Amino acid sequence: MSEPEEELELQALQRQLDDAMETTRPRPDFEDELWLRMQTSRPAPRRLGDAFGAFFRGVREVPAVPMAAVAAVLVVVVGVGILAYSGLGRGGGGATSSSLSAGADRNYAAGTFGRVPTPVFNGTPKDTQAPQAVADASSGEYFGPAQLIWTGKLELTITAAPVFRYHEPSTNTADQFATALGAVLRERPAGFLGSYSASDYTLKIRGTVQSPQASPAFFIFASLSMPAIEAAGAGPKDIADIFLAQHSLSPQWSYTVAVDSNGDPVKVLYEREFDVPGSGPAYLIDGGGKHYGIEVDLSNNRPVLVSGLLPVNPDVAPYKIVSAADAIQSALASGGQGVSATPSPAVKLTQAELVYVLVPAGDHSFYEPAFLFSGSFQLNGKTVVKRVLVPAIDPTLRTP
Amino acid sequence: MLADRPPFEDLYREYLGRIYAYIRAQVGTSADAEDITAQVFMNAYQAYARFEARNTTPSAWLFRIARNATLDHFRAHGRRERLRRTIEHQPMAEEDPAAEAEDRIQYRALLHQVAQLPERQRDAISLRHSGLSFDEVGRLMGCSEDAAKMLYHRALKALREAVHKEGN
Repeated sequence: MSEPEEELELQALQRQLDDAMETTRPRPDFEDELWLRMQTSRPAPRRLGDAFGAFFRGVREVPAVPMAAVAAVLVVVVGVGILAYSGLGRGGGGATSSSLSAGADRNYAAGTFGRVPTPVFNGTPKDTQAPQAVADASSGEYFGPAQLIWTGKLELTITAAPVFRYHEPSTNTADQFATALGAVLRERPAGFLGSYSASDYTLKIRGTVQSPQASPAFFIFASLSMPAIEAAGAGPKDIADIFLAQHSLSPQWSYTVAVDSNGDPVKVLYEREFDVPGSGPAYLIDGGGKHYGIEVDLSNNRPVLVSGLLPVNPDVAPYKIVSAADAIQSALASGGQGVSATPSPAVKLTQAELVYVLVPAGDHSFYEPAFLFSGSFQLNGKTVVKRVLVPAIDPTLRTP
Repeated sequence: MLADRPPFEDLYREYLGRIYAYIRAQVGTSADAEDITAQVFMNAYQAYARFEARNTTPSAWLFRIARNATLDHFRAHGRRERLRRTIEHQPMAEEDPAAEAEDRIQYRALLHQVAQLPERQRDAISLRHSGLSFDEVGRLMGCSEDAAKMLYHRALKALREAVHKEGN
């Protein structure tokens, strides 16, 4: 082969390589799926750290956050019994809240759901690892075994708390939600009830996820044609409010707003709360301890991702809960047994908070009350936090 | 957000396809390419707060992350596993051939040949045909612009030989 022929052949090969690289692209859904993973599937320790960090940053940035939301010690001062639930859902929301959903109010009944499933929490002690191996450096969280000591104050005078039960949403439920938004069914990809298209976004709807536990949710992925929201003097929360109102997605439940504006996108999180008669609002948290509800991610005032709880219209019933002493005892017993050569650190739990967690259970899943205990300690010269979640419902009313 | 740093989503939308193609040209399966691409953008997303546009371009920054992730992938699986995957690789088996245009199939076979080149040759071709300049290729591969050009041309000739051999 002559030199000019060889050169021509190499040039042809270069053009083929250019074409090959330009036409090699991932499958169509990969882009949306990865973006979703990036937004929602960070490692649990990081999510937990981010969540608490974002929450406390949000508290600093949003003066209207009720002080009860950051109370270090849960102090429930009014003793109430099951009969007191007659007031459930009739107001009681804070300045940033609405009351319990109308559906929950309508469906409230004096009966119970029978024995409810016991929550399973993430972040259980990793018995076989040395303490330094189970402390997450970025979040300051400690997930290892510990000798737990309670030094806080938990005055719990309520004896019951509401349990919420919802029917697993169907494709029909998802389609109705999408239709109300003006989105059209495109397909039903694996893991989702549906994927829908609108003029300037893609909507995906997912049912309950058993593991890791996740509530039924919607995800709006903005296309590049999604316009920025221009409103003079508006901050991230105002812009998120406008977007949600424009799409009839404003929360119909109690919430507190936290804003994380330290990065791009700016995150506006509407953290769902459950009203507990005689106690006040209790945050909904995921298996890692993160508050959640609806999140609006903004980049240059343009919504890029909106994700949140799919409305499920839950039923509600009161359940007897454990005493403060029993809750503390359960927390202390959950420290785990260190079997490594390094002894487990002694940790003083100083704070406790009543929260709600999702408990997936097939056709019907539950939001159940639990206690979140926490305390910080020094590990290798650094301050780390140990958190412990224990079920609040009386053990006799739970399945093992 | 810094004025000289575009929103991460813009980078994501602009570079996802190119980064995927760069990785896909080197690994045996679409599934591996998706896994590595996902890892690249997860890492980039978490590190974006530390990205400084005055020190490097977004393109070079992302391709550096992608290159490291791809090298990590090969280290993790080992050469034996890579060879096995390459030998077992069935370019036509992943998707319905009827849905593929003929030239697309031809290109996939070409990238299959790229994936079998020695590591640095494969890297030079993949980076260059991902739209990077020889200067950028050289920086990523730790050599001069001239050395990157020489490496690339050697790789191109090696690829031509491989294509000829495959055709015979």
